[in-house]
Amino acid sequence: MEVGQLQERFVDYTKSLFCEGFLDDQFLQLQQLQDESNPDFVVEVVSLFFEDSEKLLNDLTKTLDQQFVDYKRVDAQVHQLKGSSSSIGAQRVKNACIGFRNFCEEQNIEGCLRCLHQVKQEYSLVKNKLQTLFRLEQQIVAAGGAIPMVE
Amino acid sequence: MDSATENLRGSFLYQLFDSMDLNLESDGNQNEQEQQKRHLHVLAVDDSHIDRKLLERLLTVSSYQVTCVDSGDKALEYLGLLENTDNDSTTSCSSSCCTSSSSLSPQQEASKVNLIMTDYSMPGMSGYDLLKRVKESSWKNVPVVVMSSENVPSRINMCLEGGAEQFLLKPVKLSDLRELQSHILNPLSNSCKHFDDSFVDDNTNNGSHSCKHFDDSFVDDNTNNGNDNNDNDSDKKNNNSNKRKAMSPDCSERRPKITELVVL
Repeated sequence: MEVGQLQERFVDYTKSLFCEGFLDDQFLQLQQLQDESNPDFVVEVVSLFFEDSEKLLNDLTKTLDQQFVDYKRVDAQVHQLKGSSSSIGAQRVKNACIGFRNFCEEQNIEGCLRCLHQVKQEYSLVKNKLQTLFRLEQQIVAAGGAIPMVE
Repeated sequence: MDSATENLRGSFLYQLFDSMDLNLESDGNQNEQEQQKRHLHVLAVDDSHIDRKLLERLLTVSSYQVTCVDSGDKALEYLGLLENTDNDSTTSCSSSCCTSSSSLSPQQEASKVNLIMTDYSMPGMSGYDLLKRVKESSWKNVPVVVMSSENVPSRINMCLEGGAEQFLLKPVKLSDLRELQSHILNPLSNSCKHFDDSFVDDNTNNGSHSCKHFDDSFVDDNTNNGNDNNDNDSDKKNNNSNKRKAMSPDCSERRPKITELVVL
């Protein structure tokens, strides 16, 4: 595929991620912080997010699996996940965390487990989408093109 | 030298201008501002790795020099405010720090912190605790900005009354830093308080005076929400306006002080 087509695909794909609410304005902020001196900034931050999130989700699964659930700990972890997803613009993950915290407050195990499931799903989706996006970027660069800015 | 001038010389901003060799009569164009900022060293405190990375990049792009630490304790250590301030402590600090390049030694760098930006919710020492410790120390004239992902008016007021320069809602954006910069770099245009003798001595009173203004506006904005949880989409609009209010002090509250201007 030639550069122009790849770039068009990239723009369309990026726009769809915003339309479908996977990403919000904060992701654009991240892109604005990337330049020639820091060409991999977005990928680096998102990779940190992946690492962080996977650890948190594993931890959450364990914490909620205990006989006596430490809801304070659950809440702290969800708060962390909410913060990091918000920082990279992963809107749907962030929103899933908001609901999650409400169930923590109520110490509602059923609600918490449902939310954990939902957060895991949203995380998995956005991870997939972002990896696809990065692959498209790599293809454009490999074909000698520049990555278009999407407003 | 009279005591009024003594007080002024002790003020952070006086030292800042002194060190920057600033021509106070100039218009402060873009270039000059950039130069001023390169002299400014920010100590960023956040337990989140992602947020530290983000903040470090935001500040670097905005031409500040940055040092990041991951806790309030490390921040105090860096500022030399912990009980055991031997040289070893600075090396343990650097392993969890990211520092933009500088030819100064850690001690020299620490002696030049011009702004502290700290997250509010951190395990152990909170951003508020750090704020109080700084304001009770020899670093009390350094502005402290508190950041939080949660829009809790009582928290915001508490921090402002505790002496915080600004309260920013996360995620912090470039535009937030631009507003912050104009507040910290251009005290002449924003308010005359820095030349006010009583302000230098009486920091907390003036802080709470301007906070009363925030207080009222927060109450007004948040009564419309009708729920305890500030984290929903319908709140976003209010979030933004609260955030703006937290960030842009109404100078009219401070202007009356102009009559108490100390003439240099």
